Amino acid sequence: MRWPGLPRFITRPVLIALVVGGIGGLAFTGFLLEFDRFTSRNAFCTACHSMTYAETAYQRSTHYNSASGVRATCGDCHVSPGLLAATWDHLIGGKDLLKQWFGPDDDDPVVNALLLPEAAFAARAWFRDRDSATCKRCHTMEAIQGKRADTAAIHRDETAGKTCVDCHYNLVHRPVPDQSTFKREAWNRMIEEEFGLAPGTAGRMMADE
Amino acid sequence: MSCHLKASSGLAAQWQASAHQRAGVNCMDCHQATAADADAREHEGQVIATIVSPKDCGRCHTQEVEEQQGSVHAEAYAIIKDRVPALAQNLTGTAVQAAGCDQCHGSLVKVRGDGSLDPATWPNSGIGRVNPDGSKGSCSACHGRHLFSKAQAREPQACVRCHAGPDSPDQEIFEASKHGMLYASQRDRMNLDAAQWIAGRDYTAAPTCVTCHMGAAGKLPATHDVGLRNAWSLNSPVSQRQLLVVLEDGGKLELPASAPVPKRGAEITKADGTLGKVKSVATPERRRQAMSMVCQECHGKPFTDAFMKQFDAVVDLFNGKFAQPARAIMTGLYAQGRLTPLPFDEPIEFTYWELWHDEGARARHGAAMASPNHTWWEGMYLVGRNFYSRFLPQARAAAGDRSVELVDAQLTGDHHQWLTDPAAGNPILGTDIPEAPR
Repeated sequence: MRWPGLPRFITRPVLIALVVGGIGGLAFTGFLLEFDRFTSRNAFCTACHSMTYAETAYQRSTHYNSASGVRATCGDCHVSPGLLAATWDHLIGGKDLLKQWFGPDDDDPVVNALLLPEAAFAARAWFRDRDSATCKRCHTMEAIQGKRADTAAIHRDETAGKTCVDCHYNLVHRPVPDQSTFKREAWNRMIEEEFGLAPGTAGRMMADE
Repeated sequence: MSCHLKASSGLAAQWQASAHQRAGVNCMDCHQATAADADAREHEGQVIATIVSPKDCGRCHTQEVEEQQGSVHAEAYAIIKDRVPALAQNLTGTAVQAAGCDQCHGSLVKVRGDGSLDPATWPNSGIGRVNPDGSKGSCSACHGRHLFSKAQAREPQACVRCHAGPDSPDQEIFEASKHGMLYASQRDRMNLDAAQWIAGRDYTAAPTCVTCHMGAAGKLPATHDVGLRNAWSLNSPVSQRQLLVVLEDGGKLELPASAPVPKRGAEITKADGTLGKVKSVATPERRRQAMSMVCQECHGKPFTDAFMKQFDAVVDLFNGKFAQPARAIMTGLYAQGRLTPLPFDEPIEFTYWELWHDEGARARHGAAMASPNHTWWEGMYLVGRNFYSRFLPQARAAAGDRSVELVDAQLTGDHHQWLTDPAAGNPILGTDIPEAPR
């Protein structure tokens, strides 16, 4: 049966498929939006104990404590803008869950601190590859004035060919040197001193992991 | 550079006005680093080091750094390293080391594992700073960065951040001396901006610290070894005439002149325990001769020699009358267990410390640099007052029943004879001269 005035190919099954597909598509989009929102929450990210170390540093940063009341969440910085990109990031991010289960014991504060530099290098590369897209969610280059007279001028004149993260790193989490000057031995010594471990312990722990 | 004309623009502006800028020496010529350097860090795409060490400056200023390495300035941290904890940790607290001691003597700069410089050791421009690259010293202790003005370094003000205060009041001494008086009143004739600055030729108005301790004078070349012309050690418990031993590796060593003079080529143990080969030895006479050559650009030789005699006599007096007996008394009290070995847990230890370290040093520096006030009221008067009215009573109290043997037995010779005639009156106190009891 067909309704008068509709093209011939709109048959009942087609109509049903369109309605079901439409509703299903909307539902799926809604699901993805909710999924991304849910998985971008701080509470979700820090549900793993290993992430609470990153959280502690974050809570001391300006990105958490800004005078204006704007607070960036984990996802604001670490999940790409756009539904598809965000979904993709979360899918790829699933490997972190596998690492949490099967990888080094990141819940141990010493192991966590020892492995932090590689995590920082990976995160910086991620920002760089995306031209600091998540920074630009909130920060608009043309609008950067700063508190000092020179801040606006530097952003206007000195940033050609650079992306935010080229200059702005070590803002939120524990400071880690740039990869070009990073020294594993010195980092290990610092962590050993911090946790009161005998020299050489860090190297052995990393070999074990 | 274009960033730093906006951010921290003061340093960029100073550099723009500098001789470095005119010579084409830019930021990276001094701040360059390789990734392997302990304190290397990434900065705007470049690998740099914040600290510009003497090794960095020495890439161009080779001779100056060779002279500076091994000098008392370069070794200012190493010389007191073992002694500092008694004051900076026991007596006060470690916070004072970073903000106090180390700001003059220099810090042992620590680079943390995250590449940052430990704030307990940095910022620091102390003159004996031990840098992450292993070199010793800080050129910017005297040469204000980033202008690096010759005139600024020639000013007495270049030295006063450290050479002031109770133990080495060289600023106050200089200002109170005829030299300082002439400098202050004739500063416009000092030719401080001259490319070359040879005393007696490029300027004659007055000497500054640099003139006598470092500067070129007549045929005497300039040196960045600031202690080179010092015949005496003036900051020690007992002053010694001192030998300067120059080693083949560029190191230097101060030895008391009473020690046998090491032969050229002989192996000798350095302050840090390693061995060095003797290259040359400067005797105190030779060092005095160098200093006198500066004097003689303006003064006659007999005048200079007689001045040095007056100075030496004050040092000998301090040594013989106060420093040697006081040290012998302290040694005896420690040896007999009348004092604990821990410094500063007994009042007499402060008295003894200040006797040589503060007023004793002031008296000796005052005589060396011709300030009568510091030689006497700020110096030897206080040495005498504290020796007789504080140190000896405290020492006798500590010695108890053995005070004759441990204390009074050290007060031999003519120096303390005056105490044996208590009836000898004098109007000094402004009272009627009391009659001696019959």
